[in-house]
Amino acid sequence: MGAAPQQVSPDQRVADFRKIFSRAESEVARVIVGHRDVVRKLLTALFCGGHILIEGVPGLGKTLMVKAASETLGLSFKRIQFTPDLMPSDIIGTQVLTEADGHREFQFKPGPIFAHMVLGDEINRATPKTQSAVLEAMEEHQVTVFGTTYVLDPPYIVLATQNPIELEGTYPLPEAQMDRFIFKVVMGSPKPDELREILDRTTGTTHNKIQPLFEPARAPQAIEDLKALVREVMVAEPLERYIISVIGGCTPGGPGAIPEVSQYLRFGPSPRGAQALILCAKVNALLAGRVSVSYDDIDDAIIPCLRHRLLLNFQAEAESVSAESILEQVIKRLKKPRT
Amino acid sequence: MDNPVETIGTASARIARLAAIRMMLCAVAPALTAIALGLLLEPIGDVTWARYGYALAPDRANVLSLALIGAGIAVLVAGSVMAFRAYRRANDFVAAAAELDDRLECDQEIVTFATLADPSAPESSRARRTPLFPVLWRRAIAMFVGLDVRREFRLEVGEPLKRSSIFAGVVALAMVLATLGLVRAPTPENTEAAKLRSIAEEIAKTATSSDDTVLADKIRQAADALENSKLPPEEKKKRIEDAMREADKAAQKRNNSQSGKNQGTGKSTAQSGKGNGKGQGNSSGSGSGEGKSGTGVGQNAGGNNPGAGKGGTGKNSGKNDGGKGSAKNDQNKGDQSNIELQNELAKAEAQVETANAKNPGPESKPGNDKNQGGANKPGEKVDQKSGSQPNPNRPGEIPKPGASGDRNIPSAGGNPKNNKDLGSNMGDTHLGEMPTSTNAQRFLKPGEKGSTVDIKDARYVMFRLPGAPTSGNGGKTVLDTDRPTATTAYVNAPLAPTSDNAPPDERQLVPPRYRDMIH
Repeated sequence: MGAAPQQVSPDQRVADFRKIFSRAESEVARVIVGHRDVVRKLLTALFCGGHILIEGVPGLGKTLMVKAASETLGLSFKRIQFTPDLMPSDIIGTQVLTEADGHREFQFKPGPIFAHMVLGDEINRATPKTQSAVLEAMEEHQVTVFGTTYVLDPPYIVLATQNPIELEGTYPLPEAQMDRFIFKVVMGSPKPDELREILDRTTGTTHNKIQPLFEPARAPQAIEDLKALVREVMVAEPLERYIISVIGGCTPGGPGAIPEVSQYLRFGPSPRGAQALILCAKVNALLAGRVSVSYDDIDDAIIPCLRHRLLLNFQAEAESVSAESILEQVIKRLKKPRT
Repeated sequence: MDNPVETIGTASARIARLAAIRMMLCAVAPALTAIALGLLLEPIGDVTWARYGYALAPDRANVLSLALIGAGIAVLVAGSVMAFRAYRRANDFVAAAAELDDRLECDQEIVTFATLADPSAPESSRARRTPLFPVLWRRAIAMFVGLDVRREFRLEVGEPLKRSSIFAGVVALAMVLATLGLVRAPTPENTEAAKLRSIAEEIAKTATSSDDTVLADKIRQAADALENSKLPPEEKKKRIEDAMREADKAAQKRNNSQSGKNQGTGKSTAQSGKGNGKGQGNSSGSGSGEGKSGTGVGQNAGGNNPGAGKGGTGKNSGKNDGGKGSAKNDQNKGDQSNIELQNELAKAEAQVETANAKNPGPESKPGNDKNQGGANKPGEKVDQKSGSQPNPNRPGEIPKPGASGDRNIPSAGGNPKNNKDLGSNMGDTHLGEMPTSTNAQRFLKPGEKGSTVDIKDARYVMFRLPGAPTSGNGGKTVLDTDRPTATTAYVNAPLAPTSDNAPPDERQLVPPRYRDMIH
């Protein structure tokens, strides 16, 4: 498992991907009750090479989920609790004056952002300055401190959480920053039977232990191989046109924009949204055992990939029109001509 | 194991062919309908509007017919072009793959495969193949196992024909609307022209010589002239008279050629003896009679008109029942048709005259067209100016007995008493005979039918005007003061009794439109 792609057949690689994904889901499910969709999105984002924004009230197990995922995959994990007084250097790291052999020199002390999986808890509580420090790391997979650039080891994924309540004193993420997350996943409250199981697991004496899929030394390479496999999945030209039409349909004044889009949106998704759609669809295709993307793969990815990329206008806020409802209208409208 | 690229290529060609056929099927029904309607316009007219007395002018019918045929051909051509375009459009490798994908429910794997394996695609599209392409190839092969392209893409004619029939219905509706706009109630001239044409057609069909053909042509020309409103009445009459002359010539020739050739056969039966009969009339005839023994010679008085010959009387037998025989006489038929023809031509001429009398010509406006006889200026006598302007006040022309009137009277040939009216529906067989006048005692009340006057289709009706009231010595002035005084002078004298047997004083042309109304 996780062998170099040159040594195994393409069929085997596809089969391995499905197996690893499935096992990772199962391992995370040993400690996280429910939220299978969120776990799947988390793993998908990891294999797409993207970052994920999780929105949910405190106490739902977000930190535990990320920790379980990193443990399963054998990746390093760091957690940052964002607060208003958090400085960029607290995240990125800073130069520290050290003395060795009679010489004093500045030595870079990496911040918590230097990990494979970084959990940014309540990212909207930090100041924009601190938030923007994370941006470069998320997009470039590198940080620059005092003119020196430090590359973050792949795989690298940021999982940021946002608390939808207690918005006073928060700094909502700007659109540019929201666009850098491949998914925005909304974590709901557990169902009664799930809650009962959570109680059983967390208040008893038994603790489920996670079995890592990879050794920590091999894990980054294995994950990178799987990420490469995702990119090898093929997309037909008509499906690319469909993705383009979806993006155009969600853009006010864009080609094929439906009336609801023009009525309720200020801005539509960026090209990054289309990239996210394709990558997510590719993972969906692999999970279905295919090596090419289908329309259904794309449709499944539209809402999580685009919901945070639509900027609603005042009318939409006033009428409680959500981005999800608009996206559903777009899918419905575009589905008819393609079938 | 088939090459999936070939399979998709086969499907693509099949889909293209089917698209072309479907498109052609859509065009065929309306095109054929239009062409068939164009070709069968006349028979259709015979069973539809013509039955209700409406007529479609030949020039309009021709235009409509040509338009329908042209439209049909245009639809066929357009259908062919569209079928070609449909073929070109449907002959798409990736589109065929998409169609296969939908039918086999392959989640766009075949489409993806086709975009990367399209033989007509540029090389750059192949560069998009990834190391996973062999997996896709194998999956495509697996999907095409058991696929029969012919069975998968069947020619379904139902839908195109259904659509086609709608277009055909539109064409038929357009034809009906066009016809409704073009048909007119026939004028007497149209009716007469149609009759003349049918006679001409009959003559042309049974033509034995070039004279008949010429006659048929002349009749057609006369018919055309009769309908042509642009022709002046003189020209119309001229053409009709041409036809009449030609008819006369033909009748004359027929008489000459038939003279002495007519044969009548008679059959006589005698109690004894065998008899041969010979007959002589205006045309010669022969009759044969059979008896028990002997031979008899008799006279056959076969007339040329009735066509009946009397059998000879057995000479040797002494007793002959007076065998009856029948003789065929072709000339009789010819004469009848000739009479009909001349009758119709005479009617046509009368119609021209009537129309001419009704429409004396366009009124000249002052200072308008000098060639039309000059402008009528107030106080100026211009009615007699040269030109073709007819006098609006002139009386209607009455055919003179000596001129064209003679042409209308066929030679009686033989004893007129032997002539038998065979009841032609084409005209008057009483021409040449003057109907015996009957006493018209009074006018008929509405709905009342008087005694039958057998002058149907008569060209002339003879009637007698009452004599001038003569007072003689019987007039007597009576003073009546109680009566209102008349402002005009009047004579209170009874009409003199008239004799029923008195000869008619005048004969007047019966307007053709009233001829069929008189019984």
